[in-house]
Amino acid sequence: MNDRRALPAPPPVAGRVLDAGLDLLDRQILDPDGVPVSTVDDLELTTPDDPAHLDPEHPPVISALLTGPILLTRVFGGRLPDSRFIRIPWKVVTDPGVVLSVGVHADSLDASWTERWMRDHVIARIPGGRHDPE
Amino acid sequence: MILSDLLGRPVLDDAGRRLGQVVDARFVLDGPPDGSLAAARLHGLVVSPHAHSSFDGYERTGVDAPALIARFLRWRARGSFLVLWGDLESIGDQVRLREGATLYSPRLSESEV
Repeated sequence: MNDRRALPAPPPVAGRVLDAGLDLLDRQILDPDGVPVSTVDDLELTTPDDPAHLDPEHPPVISALLTGPILLTRVFGGRLPDSRFIRIPWKVVTDPGVVLSVGVHADSLDASWTERWMRDHVIARIPGGRHDPE
Repeated sequence: MILSDLLGRPVLDDAGRRLGQVVDARFVLDGPPDGSLAAARLHGLVVSPHAHSSFDGYERTGVDAPALIARFLRWRARGSFLVLWGDLESIGDQVRLREGATLYSPRLSESEV
């Protein structure tokens, strides 16, 4: 039953196929200018109406990419509370390629707040930190 | 629902026999338009009877190098299969399949790799 060599190929599908672990998770997210936003730490899916009796006609879809401080849970196990994840809606994703491109600028996304905070409160106070190198 | 809540869940057939655990989820961009792309529909789950995770998807692609690592990872993922969303009965602490669920090869076609 579980001999993979004997298993049939799945029926063909019309759209592009993405395996979460291979094509989405841990991929870098870049904004339209190529500025790194974050990485994909997890995916938020729509929840089935009744998980005990799934509807074959209404599969979950990806509603958002999630990013957050997951290093400790990856090392020590456990699960980050939902509130600690930052959501990047799927609708802003423009190209799930080697990196995930999004159609909005990094500064408009909550996911890059640490970068902005570092820029405004630390880098800007360093002499020469407010302009490009000459 | 968060994807990592689904990964690692045991998968049982309709009789309650354990078939393995969820190691990955396959999505297809063929839903109604959602922003710039089509909605990413959950097409199915990749299940492995032995491994608790999949590393680099060696069992799903034609990659066979480095040879020793590829052999080891293919052996580790032996017996993996894809089960489509329509064959899932319920999702909870365990994922249970419907009676007569079809197990498909998890291998990606050349155009999908």
